[in-house]
Amino acid sequence: MTRESEWQLALPLALAYAAFFLVPLGLLIAVSAFGDDRITTLDGAQWRKFLGDPFTWKVIVDTVKLGGLTVAATSLIGYPLALVYLGAGPRWQRVILFVVILPLLTSVVVRTFAWIVILGREGVINQAVLWLGLAPAPLRLLQTEHGLVIALTQIEMPIMLLPLLSVMSRLDPNLRDASAGLGASKWRTLVRVTLPLSLPGLVAGCMLVFASATTAFISQFVIGGNRLVYLPLIIWQQSLVVYNWPLASVAALTLLVSVGLGVAAIAAVGRRGRAYAL
Amino acid sequence: MSHRRSTRREFLAAAAVTLGSLALPRPALAKGSVTAAMYPGTWEEAFRAHVTPALKAAHDVDLEMTPLFAVDQIAKAQASRGAPPFDAFVLDPGPRVTGIERGLFEKFDGKRLGNLARLPTGMTDEYGVTVAAQVVGIGYNPKKLPKPKSWTDLLKDPWVSRLGMTGFQTTYGTVSIIEIAKQFGGSETNVEPFFVEIKKVLPKVAAIGAPASMPALFQQGQCDITYTNTQTVATLRGRDVDIEFVKPESGAVAFFTTMHIARGSRESENAYKYFDTVISAPVQSALMQPPNNFIPVNREVKLAANLPMASLDEMAKFVKHDWSKINPLRAGWIERFNKEVAK
Repeated sequence: MTRESEWQLALPLALAYAAFFLVPLGLLIAVSAFGDDRITTLDGAQWRKFLGDPFTWKVIVDTVKLGGLTVAATSLIGYPLALVYLGAGPRWQRVILFVVILPLLTSVVVRTFAWIVILGREGVINQAVLWLGLAPAPLRLLQTEHGLVIALTQIEMPIMLLPLLSVMSRLDPNLRDASAGLGASKWRTLVRVTLPLSLPGLVAGCMLVFASATTAFISQFVIGGNRLVYLPLIIWQQSLVVYNWPLASVAALTLLVSVGLGVAAIAAVGRRGRAYAL
Repeated sequence: MSHRRSTRREFLAAAAVTLGSLALPRPALAKGSVTAAMYPGTWEEAFRAHVTPALKAAHDVDLEMTPLFAVDQIAKAQASRGAPPFDAFVLDPGPRVTGIERGLFEKFDGKRLGNLARLPTGMTDEYGVTVAAQVVGIGYNPKKLPKPKSWTDLLKDPWVSRLGMTGFQTTYGTVSIIEIAKQFGGSETNVEPFFVEIKKVLPKVAAIGAPASMPALFQQGQCDITYTNTQTVATLRGRDVDIEFVKPESGAVAFFTTMHIARGSRESENAYKYFDTVISAPVQSALMQPPNNFIPVNREVKLAANLPMASLDEMAKFVKHDWSKINPLRAGWIERFNKEVAK
């Protein structure tokens, strides 16, 4: 096969993308332009209604904030674990990798319902808190933003760690030795050598976690309940409960744009961070 | 080069075999089959255990089930435009009305059901047949709370601080909120008094959850009182959860679960046989037993002692709602609920 015709290898995927992503996306955009739930009047009324409502903007901000908090928590906990991985021998590296992948082997529904048992009023955390005398009454953890971020941090951790560990495992150990040999402290080596070199993995992990946490309907709804309203809940209510597909499409496109902007922002921060470090 | 070509040939041959095997005809079915949408969980398990064998034995028809909630069935049928992904619906009153309005059902002839005479009158119409009843009231934990008397107790101490709520996404949630609103001067079409009252106590409410998570929240002690149906209460009791069903003073709410033939279905003959099997006395009786806990609609079935009525005729006294009036208002109520209860 000649180099010029190699692009043909991408053809099956490109066709699948066109059929199953671009066409439905086009339909979504088309449906969102209708003003009524029977899809008869083309006047963009749902866009005006949705974006003209201050509540919508609160929901958009909350959704993006949820993604941001989950990204912060998964990177703060995940990065040190990645450093442990970097310093471990091959056998321990395999153990760490297995433990990281383990949660992916169970369904997200199961993991989410397990968090009800952990975060509940009579759950493990509250029993420990009461037993240690840290609070006079059970803490409210379910249906709060911090409870949801705790659960999402565990649920999304594998997709933060997998790109991070794959980049970490390709770092040349000689670079760290050279840095130490030239008199840099461990901290300086971390900030000036390891972090910049592992940044692509961290940025990739952050993007995946952000996109996944902001759209995690099951976890958001089961742990957040109706007290926490995010864009996926509105899409579900409008598409499957009241059958207002134009409004559901508007909410879906709003989510798409919000997540897209968030991911682009993470990529931009990654690029600037890299430029700064080097 | 020749080596490369031969691998490609092998690959193509393997791919052809794989694709070919997918296209092989499926094994021939007995006398035919019917594909029914079915509520996931208790309903699906109970139907697999009792309806599938009964339908096979009586009519030699295979029952295939697609697990879908009522609202999902309407959404799928509507999206498929004339080529329904299943032959039979099972629906609550709200989605049923939507299905009627959007023309998703074949015209139904109740006289074709052999067991029709064993149902109370009014159980079929030109759209479908009633196969089960649901009774909604209050479920509470008697070990943690005194017995509540009325819907208004839900918003008072000590119950309100242990209350678990859902919004207007489900039939039982919607009718319960309507009943609470009525106690404060509202009506079937006016739930404003509910919003006024709930706002006063909102910080105290223990849980406002996703409908699917309510049994788990109750089981985990996150809430100790909630509005629910008798079937959920019986199922939780079967798992040794401390829960009792209470009929509120103003009356428990009853609504019916109905089955319908999807417009454009090619298996309407088998769908009638399926419906007739579901409403037959032996099947209705089996569905009533634990762990299924259905409320039967066949008069020949002797009602279990734990049901909230001694005979089916008593259900006439239960509170009913007109979903053709509720449906148009529901979107607005859901939006309002989001805004009022979201932090």
